[in-house]
Amino acid sequence: MVVFESYRRAVSSILTELGDRLDDLVVLDADTGRSTGSLAFGKKFPGRYVNVGISEQDLIGTAAGLALAGLRPVAMGFAMFLMRAFEQIRNTLARDRLNVKVIATHAGLSPHIDGASHQSLEDLALMRSIPGMTVVSPADFNSTRALIRAAVEDHVGPLYMRLGRDNAVHVYDDEEGFRIGGLRIVRDPVDVVVYAVGPMVGMSLEAAKILETRGIKAGVVDVYTVKPIDSDTIVKLSSRSILSVTVEEHNTAGGLGGAVAEVLAEAGAGRLIRMGVHERFGTSSKTYLDLVEAMGLTPRGIASRVESALATARR
Amino acid sequence: MRGDGAPISRLGGGSPSQALSDLVSSASSTLDGAWALFEDLASNGSAWHVGSSRSALNIIAAVFGVWIPRGHDLGIKRFGLLSKGHASMALYTWLAASRMIPIEELKSYLRLGSRLQAHPEAFRVPGIIVSTGSLGQGLSIANGIALASRIDGVPREVAVILGDGELDEGQVWEAVATTSSKRLSNVTAIVDRNMTQHTGRTEEVKAKEPLEDRWRSFGWHVVTVRNTFDEIVAALEEASTVDMPVVVIVRPRS
Repeated sequence: MVVFESYRRAVSSILTELGDRLDDLVVLDADTGRSTGSLAFGKKFPGRYVNVGISEQDLIGTAAGLALAGLRPVAMGFAMFLMRAFEQIRNTLARDRLNVKVIATHAGLSPHIDGASHQSLEDLALMRSIPGMTVVSPADFNSTRALIRAAVEDHVGPLYMRLGRDNAVHVYDDEEGFRIGGLRIVRDPVDVVVYAVGPMVGMSLEAAKILETRGIKAGVVDVYTVKPIDSDTIVKLSSRSILSVTVEEHNTAGGLGGAVAEVLAEAGAGRLIRMGVHERFGTSSKTYLDLVEAMGLTPRGIASRVESALATARR
Repeated sequence: MRGDGAPISRLGGGSPSQALSDLVSSASSTLDGAWALFEDLASNGSAWHVGSSRSALNIIAAVFGVWIPRGHDLGIKRFGLLSKGHASMALYTWLAASRMIPIEELKSYLRLGSRLQAHPEAFRVPGIIVSTGSLGQGLSIANGIALASRIDGVPREVAVILGDGELDEGQVWEAVATTSSKRLSNVTAIVDRNMTQHTGRTEEVKAKEPLEDRWRSFGWHVVTVRNTFDEIVAALEEASTVDMPVVVIVRPRS
């Protein structure tokens, strides 16, 4: 049974906490503060909250200027529209290694009603291709809080964090053990190792339970740091398993699937299937789960795909 | 020279402080040297976006040679951003004439391994705090630096040099609106209105006029000057006394 938590409530709660401790923390938004959760920070610290209006390119440039002046900016917006500022992120934040954290909400299938225009399925691929970018995609409420804290307090340099909306599937009971650059083995792999990000970590855990009833021992790895990816651990885990699987709310090209495929192909470490959204755009759906099911990414969908791929791999 | 507010007190016409007149005369003779280096570089096979650099050199001299050092004397942190990064010939010949980089180094311009990149990169050459090259982005960055002063109380002023062709970029107008909405009077934009962009005359490619009205309608104080060192210096002096964002539009001399 999956339990949903809210990414944006995690954003509101941790940013307001950090604002108490860090005088130099400035939060910017492109007029989406009511939706991203940044407005809670703005209400508590109006002097350190900047709404630049509906202008994502200007948002990134303004954040760059604040970082140049020595402050600690967090720039927020919807993932899809922050990609309008791909080039500003690449040419200014990354090229000059500025200390700006870009936190994107509403990524993947999470804005299920809004449809294809709002469902960002390419942002991991874009951000991962930029030299020196750190790319993080937390699974649930607690890990989002922990990783925002780590990103803002400890990480110096450009970082992209991908979050959904209210579709954080509960995985962790506390906030311990997360670090930028890390991953987490949530369930030990035997036959199959499933690498997942975001809400798909929780979905994959449920899938692993289903698979267990069918005699298949599948482990789940939360690859919350998509870049730099922990390739040593991935090669080690995949070498010991019959089948590797990636699951993400993202295009199967260029995101987690692409990253793991690159690692495994170069190491010659086993067989991989990539689950996600394959070569298509999203679509409107009254409920999140209906949309996830249509993309084959519910626990049952993941379990049956893994089962048949494992049968093929064993043949 | 036209201005919206009080007329600009022309240099020598008012009573500029001694420090300012010293800065101006020193920068003025450095500028003569920069022009000589510029023409050398242009004729020695390293000509690159020459027209854009030629119209920018007086502006660069006024910003980096007078306005920024003047800020130092006044206890204000001033920053110059070259949003039209392709005017690098002007920047580097200015820096060489100021002895901020060795004159010899100009020979390495555009060559593999040189720090004199076609588009200036942050902290590789003196005075450049942010890399540019992609047009339309400098004013947003200037706004961020200016906003920081409101948060940490450190006085800062930013001058950002834009091309007129660059104004085609939508982000410029996102930022123009931000500057005035946030009342960032410590931002000064300088538009190098040389009437030319990559494929031809600006008014034929995409009209910029009425340019002063466009900026004014966004809530900026507009000062128009001719492209002479003295007029640009005077306009920047005025800009720092105006309690709203100022754009200096630098039009051709004739």
